[in-house]
Amino acid sequence: MTNFYPFPRRGPMRTIFIVGLAVLGVFGLVPAVGVLVISFTDIRGLPNLPIHWIGIDNYLAFFSRAHVGDNLNAIKNTLVFAIVSTVVQILAALGIALLFNQKLRGRNVYRAIVFMPTVLGVTVIGLIWSLIFNPAGGPASSVLKWFGTNSAFFGDPKLALALVIFVQIWSILGVSVVIFLAGLQAIPEDVQEAASIDGATAWQRLRLVTIPMLAPSITANVLLGIVNALQSYQLAYVLTGPNNHATQLLSLEIYVQGFGGTPGAVVSQSQGYASAISIVQFVIVGVISVASLLYLRKREARL
Amino acid sequence: MSNIVTTATAANGPDAQAPAASGAGASRTPGRRRRRPKHIWSYILVAIVLFFYLFPLAFLVNTALKSSAEFAADPVGLVTSPHFENFVIAWQKGNFGAYILNSILYTAVAAGIGTFIGLALAFPVSRGYIKGSAWWTVLFVVVLFLPNALITQFQLLLRLQLYDTQLGYILIMSAGVGVGPLLMNGFIKSIPTELDEAAALDGVGYWRYLVSFVVPLTRPALATVFILQAIWVWNEIILATILLPDQTKSPLTLGLFNFQGTYSNQWTLLAAATMLVAAPLIVAYLFLQRYLVNGVVGGAVKG
Repeated sequence: MTNFYPFPRRGPMRTIFIVGLAVLGVFGLVPAVGVLVISFTDIRGLPNLPIHWIGIDNYLAFFSRAHVGDNLNAIKNTLVFAIVSTVVQILAALGIALLFNQKLRGRNVYRAIVFMPTVLGVTVIGLIWSLIFNPAGGPASSVLKWFGTNSAFFGDPKLALALVIFVQIWSILGVSVVIFLAGLQAIPEDVQEAASIDGATAWQRLRLVTIPMLAPSITANVLLGIVNALQSYQLAYVLTGPNNHATQLLSLEIYVQGFGGTPGAVVSQSQGYASAISIVQFVIVGVISVASLLYLRKREARL
Repeated sequence: MSNIVTTATAANGPDAQAPAASGAGASRTPGRRRRRPKHIWSYILVAIVLFFYLFPLAFLVNTALKSSAEFAADPVGLVTSPHFENFVIAWQKGNFGAYILNSILYTAVAAGIGTFIGLALAFPVSRGYIKGSAWWTVLFVVVLFLPNALITQFQLLLRLQLYDTQLGYILIMSAGVGVGPLLMNGFIKSIPTELDEAAALDGVGYWRYLVSFVVPLTRPALATVFILQAIWVWNEIILATILLPDQTKSPLTLGLFNFQGTYSNQWTLLAAATMLVAAPLIVAYLFLQRYLVNGVVGGAVKG
């Protein structure tokens, strides 16, 4: 359906629409769809090698005995990462948003400070936290020393993933806080007051008024958390390197399998196989996101 | 995709931005009175939250100002005599001047093209001047949830002879429009259609209308879209590693990451380098945070 077009000629509109669409299509959409296509081939990093259709061999390889251990480890890490970071992030963000939503002096400054890591980027964030968690006498290590213990932090396979999750939460907590704050400010004052007059305690107001009315913000934050956590790998890459078993995520696995995990691109890597991992990851992200969206929408409707 | 660019599930432009804007103003709850002790606890909690965000930065500054001997003797102690020459040494050894120019080029051009794509696609779709508006809107949502396309983007540039060129990297980054078209699509609805008709009657062509009417009227949304994509481009590291093996073309993030690899144990130098990279971001953030907060809220709250 087209609406009435008031301008003299349609040509100019079509021209820039097509130019915009072409850039987006060629460099954004074509590669995205192409991932599925080349996951059925044995394409490699070199341009002049022959390419063969190999059907679902890459997917069989993903679950083959040689790979399945690594891949299940990556899937497990990815899921742990996604679940823990989403849950902790939402609880912490809700608490901080409730705190900042009070009539406090300088609360806009507080909000700005918590939101700041959004602009810092993974390299800077990675370096800052490597410095804090420096095993040779960083502040975290000094704190542990008071308790008479020590740790290798990112070098400790048992601790590395937890610390990466911690830094991830630190980095994007501000986004959730801002979303919750906007949701809190959309709740009419008189609803809270009415509950107050009816004798509801602060806890009852939170549980029975505030949280139900925040449902859309909660949905947004859960989805944001899940999609972010399942797709983000730059932080793990920067903090613990691409080949660390303890923090191997599916998205990082794509990079390692496709490019050898070292700068300068090892061209013999099987990029068809790496694309198959991309698709597996995409399916996992999609299923989890859609399932949580449906569940949260149903809850919203009930409230 | 970056943290924020993946945020949105649906946008409703100006409507969603209203609560954030009002939140920036004074509190609208004149009637309620809180007892003082409660606020004291709130400020204590705020202090704990802010500590987590400010201490790492403060520690970074403290480390950057130490001599290596001082750092080796006492890594956590307060700096006694500041060594500002760390910044000079880091700047020279890290070649950051060239990297900053690269990053500015990539960020300005890619975010500029991305914002143009957002406007060029969203205006006719939002107005229904083009066939299949509903489908194009679906496309705006789909671009938020594309699979990881590292492999195909690499292959595409390889085959277009754009591998290891600045143009190739810029085009790939331009196509990462994220929430841009969706945000513009919502915002443009706040411009009355009658304005299109009035301008067209006065003989204004489509392009001139876009440039002299739509651009000024949507400036807040355009700024938000530009900043969101700019942050993503500025902080991107994996695609830069893959697509630009020539280190003279590295953006600043990659330059810093490689610097970390070279001087991995010289923490005072690393901290100084990190500060050099972070300081301009923090300064820019102070001016831009309003747009950022609006963008995140506009992108995510509707859900």
